[in-house]
Amino acid sequence: MTRRMIIAVLSLAGVFLATYLTLYKLGYLETLACGTGSCEVVQASKWSKLFGQPVALWGVCFYLAMFGMSFTGALERFAESRAIGLALVLLSGGGVLFSGWLTYVEVARLHAICRYCVGSAVIVVVMFALSAADFVTLFAAASNDPTRPPA
Amino acid sequence: MAKKTVQKANNKQFAGVLVAVGIIGVAALGYVLTHRGPTVIIVDPKIPAGAAEGHLMGKADAPVQVLEFGDFECPGCGNFANVTEPDVRTRLINTGVVGFRFFDFPLTQHKNSFTAHLAASCAEDQGKFWEMHDRIYAGQDEWSDLLDPSMTSPLPVFRRFAKELGMDVKTWEECVTSQKYTARIKGNQAEGVRRNVSQTPTIIIGNKQVNGLTYDEFKKLVDEVLAESGKAKADSAKKPAAGKKAATE
Repeated sequence: MTRRMIIAVLSLAGVFLATYLTLYKLGYLETLACGTGSCEVVQASKWSKLFGQPVALWGVCFYLAMFGMSFTGALERFAESRAIGLALVLLSGGGVLFSGWLTYVEVARLHAICRYCVGSAVIVVVMFALSAADFVTLFAAASNDPTRPPA
Repeated sequence: MAKKTVQKANNKQFAGVLVAVGIIGVAALGYVLTHRGPTVIIVDPKIPAGAAEGHLMGKADAPVQVLEFGDFECPGCGNFANVTEPDVRTRLINTGVVGFRFFDFPLTQHKNSFTAHLAASCAEDQGKFWEMHDRIYAGQDEWSDLLDPSMTSPLPVFRRFAKELGMDVKTWEECVTSQKYTARIKGNQAEGVRRNVSQTPTIIIGNKQVNGLTYDEFKKLVDEVLAESGKAKADSAKKPAAGKKAATE
């Protein structure tokens, strides 16, 4: 599988993970209760919402966008599209920064780590690494292409 | 040619993995959505209360005794207190069907919770435990560390609540700051640990232990206890009658 295909698979897994957290936050999954676990603390905190919507819902949108782009980029027709490569790097880079901020809040402010959030952060970092490697490879290939017109 | 073959194999593998992830994801979400609602575990209703002393509302000899292990800073407990409990009080406690006991179970990750439990316990000295209980839950967003991490000392907020409730604030505050009821709160907490309580709110109705529930779910469990005790009474009434019949034959 190509890097973009792996990104698409990871994005799809991320969509389900973020959907689970959104449903939990909205109270559709389990009876509202506080346990000794840390996910409840994170989900009940003021940082669990952004612009009035659950952070996890923004996560669903992010993963859907990543999935759409990586899936399109994995098609033979767009396999060498540098625009898609750049978009994947920028979007996943934004995801890494946002996940980094959320992890900082968990560790430094809430002193609670939610394993689902950690799972999401790991997916985002791997997607960024793959996107960056994909973009560098495409860029290098284009630079070595003798048929490419001089800049 | 070889490149095309590799591409085709890649595409097949890609489609297979995507379908597999999709099926697993949909199945997992479907499972958690269809298996929601309170998880009931069966407990021994005859476990003695030990040294713990819950706060009672209703009759101590009501046909159904309910215990709640609650944390004042827990949003789930706030939801139970503000949404479910008013109906429970009106329809089940005030009518004498249920005797309801609240046991303190402050969770360690809720930084302001212990002070809240002290504030409510001290209100009981002035006969206002339940009024303070309700005010603390209704105003959770005014003092909760979870919603406002800068709130390091919730005491001024609780002082305002005590004043609103018409309490002797000076006496109440002396009680809170001297931590008069720490032993009782810890006793209630220990009782919860002994009963394997690990989250709040934990409600025990008869031999069923559940975590947070709606009024309908609560009523259903109360009805089950009433039905079981009715059946037990009928059985015990039948037994002597059957014995008497055998003796006369």
